[in-house]
Amino acid sequence: MTPQDTQMTVPSVEKYKSLKAVMPIVVFLVPAVFFLVVFLLYPLISSFQLSLLDWNGLGTGERFVGMANWLRLAQDRLFWKALGNNLELAFFSVLFQMPIALLLAVVLDEASKGSRILKILYFLPLLMSSVALGVVFKNIYDPNFGPINGFLSAIHLDVLARDWLGDPRLALGSVIAVVCWQNIPFYMVLFLAGLSSFPRELGEAARLDGASETTIFWRIKLPHLQGTVRTAVMLAVVGSMRYFDLIFIMTDGGPDGASELMATYMFRTVFSSFQLGYGSTVASAMFLIVTLVAAVTMRLTRRYETEI
Amino acid sequence: MQSASVSKICALIGGLTVLALSPLAAQAQSKTITEWDLQTTTGGAKILNDGGARFEKANPGFKVEQSHIQNDAYKTKLKIAFGANQPPCVFASWGGGPLKEYVKAGQVVDLSSYLSKDAAFRDRFATAGFSTVTFDGKVYGIPAENTVASVLFYNKDLFAAEKLTPPKTWDELMNVVKVLKAKNIAAFSLANKNKWTGSMYFVYLVDRIGGPGVFAKAAARAPGGSFTDPAFIEAGKRIQELVKAGAFAEGYNGLDYDVGASRRLLYSGKAAMELMGTWEASTIKNENPGFYEKLDFTQFPTVPGGKGDPNAVLGTIGDNFFSISSTCKEPDAAFKLIQSLTDDVSAQARLEDKRIIPVKGLKTSDPFLNRVMKLVSEASSVQFWYDQELSPNLAQVHLNTTQALFGLSITPEAAAQQMEDAAKAEAK
Repeated sequence: MTPQDTQMTVPSVEKYKSLKAVMPIVVFLVPAVFFLVVFLLYPLISSFQLSLLDWNGLGTGERFVGMANWLRLAQDRLFWKALGNNLELAFFSVLFQMPIALLLAVVLDEASKGSRILKILYFLPLLMSSVALGVVFKNIYDPNFGPINGFLSAIHLDVLARDWLGDPRLALGSVIAVVCWQNIPFYMVLFLAGLSSFPRELGEAARLDGASETTIFWRIKLPHLQGTVRTAVMLAVVGSMRYFDLIFIMTDGGPDGASELMATYMFRTVFSSFQLGYGSTVASAMFLIVTLVAAVTMRLTRRYETEI
Repeated sequence: MQSASVSKICALIGGLTVLALSPLAAQAQSKTITEWDLQTTTGGAKILNDGGARFEKANPGFKVEQSHIQNDAYKTKLKIAFGANQPPCVFASWGGGPLKEYVKAGQVVDLSSYLSKDAAFRDRFATAGFSTVTFDGKVYGIPAENTVASVLFYNKDLFAAEKLTPPKTWDELMNVVKVLKAKNIAAFSLANKNKWTGSMYFVYLVDRIGGPGVFAKAAARAPGGSFTDPAFIEAGKRIQELVKAGAFAEGYNGLDYDVGASRRLLYSGKAAMELMGTWEASTIKNENPGFYEKLDFTQFPTVPGGKGDPNAVLGTIGDNFFSISSTCKEPDAAFKLIQSLTDDVSAQARLEDKRIIPVKGLKTSDPFLNRVMKLVSEASSVQFWYDQELSPNLAQVHLNTTQALFGLSITPEAAAQQMEDAAKAEAK
């Protein structure tokens, strides 16, 4: 064997070794990357492509219109109204869902074992299908036969009876109330899980030092939960920005666009007006806006980041 | 020994192949034809199921897979199926604008040759039944379900109790509204979350005010035709006049027709009338036979100074139409299936279900159906629903602006202008 030969073999062994180290990484990543590309990247890119077309989504009649759809979107009052409604939904979701869910979680956590039945009861709304829930609440809100107005008139408070889903000023709020009712249990469970990792001895030590329950909650438990709260706020905001189902079932975005959301608007544009191109523009814009809102929320809540 | 084991393996493989192929063989024996429609009432679905069963019996080797889907969900489902190029073999539609979109995309089979081959089958139907499914002289659908006119249903007992007669003119109508309002009863029950329900008022008013030509010219972008025609604006004003007079039961813009919100108002006596297609009679008969006894109908009232004929109706001759999609592998069998679904047995069954398939010489002893048939045959013109006649995009603009008119959140002039702008943009 000549010295040259040995020199040749050394790097190839190293190469082989490094390949051996890389292979598992590649093998384990391929499935995930594959599915991400097929189900995330490809639809994303193709919906951006579609947003440049004037096309009804059937056959081969598509026409390239460049940025025309985007210009139309910029001037589309209904879209901006929908965006405003999404932001309103996000604001009220955080405002109502977080405190109520937190309160329920803390109380149930204190009650510990005795609260098992309550835990299940409070969890029920989350288990119901949105469609069934929507139909039930459509009946509850019915201005002529619904129990809400029925109750109000029974206690002689007819002045408070309203056309809950048919009045443009109330429709969105009426649905938001149901959205909160449906989602509070989810955040309750999230907070309960967070509280379960709360070290008991911390509370006991604080109590020995004479701290009241309120102090323990505000000064110890809440800071302990800050990472969970941050996650919950993120989920609520992002979920609200792409919300669809209860609005679609209960008001269909009406009356006169009063409760329209970006997602319902996109749906109507594609499936009722047969404008796949413009609908894709709405969808792409929605993606950009949701990403932006998520990024801003993440930035604003960064200082509360903890490991959960 | 080795050869023995080889032959064993061969036998095993052979056996497995037979096993694997046998489902294929079974599949080859019975070909499946899918059929989608929107008949979700017990009666309506049964008639189609029976038709499918008759077809299977007459054509051994074929299996029919039928789906009956709720009205508004159906429109979406059909669009998705066509968009994904996997439509059902046989599908129901209302003809008009949406069907035309599918036809333009080359996704619907031209039935003209089938019809000319079987002239006896074609001539069974009233000629007018093909008008909403004929594009460029080619026929793309078979009228299947009903002859529908939109009429003013009213509660006889309620009218008698208030000593009222069904309104024939606008002034009589406003009087009815006033008298009922004083008794805390709404003149009209309207479930306008669905939007096409309120559209009927608009269409009738335009027809009564300006005659059938106004819409036809505006939709076809003919010279002089415009959606800002005074007839459209006055129709909007009349709707808002009714709204302001309290003619509609509370919550109308949020009520859902598909869950029966408007009929509930009629049943409870909280509302006296509903402008609705004549199919409503069979729905009510299925739903509330007791109330059916109190039900009567009249024509939409005339409008002072209106150019329209008081006998003109809004409606459809056929209601639903069966078409065949181009992806269907067995179009001949599919056509036979359509024939089964619209044959004499099914025509008779539909009569019993209070529906009139537009077949010539249909006789019934039912006074209600005879009145509907008379109404349509004597009509000077039959105006098709705007939201089905127009292209899907314009239809949405029409539905949205009309719902806004009812909600008093848009002026009639602005609504007309929006419609005209959209029509202009589309014609470009």
